[in-house]
Amino acid sequence: MWNITVDDVESIAIGAGILGTGGGGNPYLGEIWMKSMLKQGYSVNVIDLNELHDDALVTDVGGMGAPTVGIEKLPHGLEPRWAVEALEGFIGKSIDAIICAEIGGSNSIVPLIAGALTNKPVVDGDAMGRAFPEMQMSTHFIDGASCVPTAMADEKGNQIVFSHLTDSFALEKFARDLCILMGCRAEMAVSVMSGKQVKRSAVPRTMTLAKRVGDAVRRSRRTKEPVVDAVLDVTGGREIFAGKLIDVQRRTTGGFARGDLVAEGIGEYAGDWMHIAFQNENLVAWRGDRHERREVVVCVPDLICLLETETGEPITTEQLRYGLRVTMLGIPCTDKFRTEKALKVVGPSAFGYHDVTYNPMPKVPGQGIE
Amino acid sequence: MRRMLDVQNVEDIALGAAVLGTGGGGDPYIGKLMANEAIRKYGPVEMVTIDEVPDDEMSVAIAMMGAPTVMVEKMPGGRECVDAFRAVESFLGKPIKYIYSIEAGGINSTIPITLAATLRIPMIDLDGMGRAFPEIQMVTHNLFGITATPFTMADEKGNSAVLSTIDNRWMETFARSIAVNMGATAHIAAYAASGKQQKEAGVFGTMSLAEKIGRTIREARAEHRNVTQAILEVTGGYLIFHGKLTDIQRRTVAGFARGEAYLDGIGEDAGSQMKIQFQNENLMAERDGTIIACVPDLITMVEEDTGEPITTEGLRYGFRVNVLGMPAHPHWRTEHGLAVVGPRYFGYDVDYVPVEERFSKHSIS
Repeated sequence: MWNITVDDVESIAIGAGILGTGGGGNPYLGEIWMKSMLKQGYSVNVIDLNELHDDALVTDVGGMGAPTVGIEKLPHGLEPRWAVEALEGFIGKSIDAIICAEIGGSNSIVPLIAGALTNKPVVDGDAMGRAFPEMQMSTHFIDGASCVPTAMADEKGNQIVFSHLTDSFALEKFARDLCILMGCRAEMAVSVMSGKQVKRSAVPRTMTLAKRVGDAVRRSRRTKEPVVDAVLDVTGGREIFAGKLIDVQRRTTGGFARGDLVAEGIGEYAGDWMHIAFQNENLVAWRGDRHERREVVVCVPDLICLLETETGEPITTEQLRYGLRVTMLGIPCTDKFRTEKALKVVGPSAFGYHDVTYNPMPKVPGQGIE
Repeated sequence: MRRMLDVQNVEDIALGAAVLGTGGGGDPYIGKLMANEAIRKYGPVEMVTIDEVPDDEMSVAIAMMGAPTVMVEKMPGGRECVDAFRAVESFLGKPIKYIYSIEAGGINSTIPITLAATLRIPMIDLDGMGRAFPEIQMVTHNLFGITATPFTMADEKGNSAVLSTIDNRWMETFARSIAVNMGATAHIAAYAASGKQQKEAGVFGTMSLAEKIGRTIREARAEHRNVTQAILEVTGGYLIFHGKLTDIQRRTVAGFARGEAYLDGIGEDAGSQMKIQFQNENLMAERDGTIIACVPDLITMVEEDTGEPITTEGLRYGFRVNVLGMPAHPHWRTEHGLAVVGPRYFGYDVDYVPVEERFSKHSIS
């Protein structure tokens, strides 16, 4: 068990930005929100999965909505607590611990805020080991955990509890439409799971991983060493490309920011081009020539992260623009997403890329996302 | 007075509810079949008057929401209203002793009867509109500060949700979205109210009024009396036009059936035209360009010979109809009531004038 410090929050936000693979929302707002709470005297502990009782009640906490709106529409401040309390009111029992729904992006910090507001520990792990755009893309649901009851709350005080749903795809559909009506941002407490279930299906120790990635980035910034190397070292990933963005196409469809980018190689990659397709998060990277994709290099569920070459800052898909110099990393995803069952939900075909075959990136034992 | 509702009573309620439905509220046919099936299986339903309800006992409204056209096609599974009812009970943490109809007009007159029979819970003889209206906040209980929260909904597939909102207008927004995703119809339980609250907010006697209208139509037909006249006598309404439908315009906008019906006058009304605007329900009737009836008063078209009420989706060229105007419940005629259901809420920039002020010479009261 460890107690979250202001310093931890800063590192987690940086690490989560990288694990967001271009999406997941900017953790900045959550970071300053959490820091201000710590200064006011709130406190939250992170516990290991082993410290969780098998019969403990755990809920998955995170925000839903458009990351762009998340920056403009300021929260009331108590939404994560309202979501958890709505769930507790519904089941008539107290929730014992909170776990992160999505370690990539802004949702890395939301469970810490929820833990501090409700005085509950946050379990070190999450349901993705990265960021993904839809609710069914969760290791818990893929494992067969029920997606109900689930609560959502907005900043005005409205609360909705889903008591029964046919499946997690229905949760995505119902909650997405309500989230739009709530003003494109809602906080959620998803499912009530047993400690036993969480131990089996969570991606373990990802809060620690985000912190370690952030620590490594901050350390290399201080020592003026290459940030990319530090990230690769902690995540067990590899550099797949470095170049300049020469084209970005965007379209907003079905509530998502979709698009494609083309980058022209620099240095050892000169004469090569890389194409990336994204839907909030980066989905598929192809090597090719200027106009054509030729060979898949990395694809979902493995992580494709773009860092600004100079500073090592992660670049979100909405920040992409002509002329940016970027270094692209591929990071192996959790083993829990590499099964046949999981790939139906989070593999390339789940995003409409039926001609792309998933070849798992090799993993370095003991490194990166477990 | 405590009484039991049997299959014939339900038939009459359904017919009368179509008159109170003012063209909308959903065809009571499906609700009637379900209610009668439940009565045959579990026995007659007890209905009590408001004065029999103790102040501290809770009641809840049971209804269907969604598109009336879909309700006819998508059969309910049968368990939905039980699920919705139980969910409200568990949210409130106390037993609910009575159920009631939120909307005496249309299908929601009979939907609560099914649950009342299944769970053997008495119904209260009242509703929250005295007619039909399209949105969740258009309920007299809303005018008296009673919240729709906890609002529960369930569909035939087994999906269900519990909503708690800051006001009843927000409930309409969220519940509508869920109902659409549930396949455009859902069963709901909402507006839990104590006996004390009901005594202030309810529109009393509307279930027996619907039954009386239905029975009157049935008997008038059998005795070859003037059915329209018989309806007017029961409802205290006015014959505001007699004509033939010459044109009907429909558009489906934001989940509602909107449109206009045009009529050419017959008999005493020959030479005049009437235009009726509707949004699920009939909202406004204009005779030769002058408004002669508007919401919240009731505007219902009935077939001239049989007195059969005609829903807006059933309107078509050539129908010969009597247009009836009936006074709304006094709750709706206050400033607060008109803000919720008056012509301006529906987008017409006109003042509300009670229908009897335009037709006082025919007053029956």
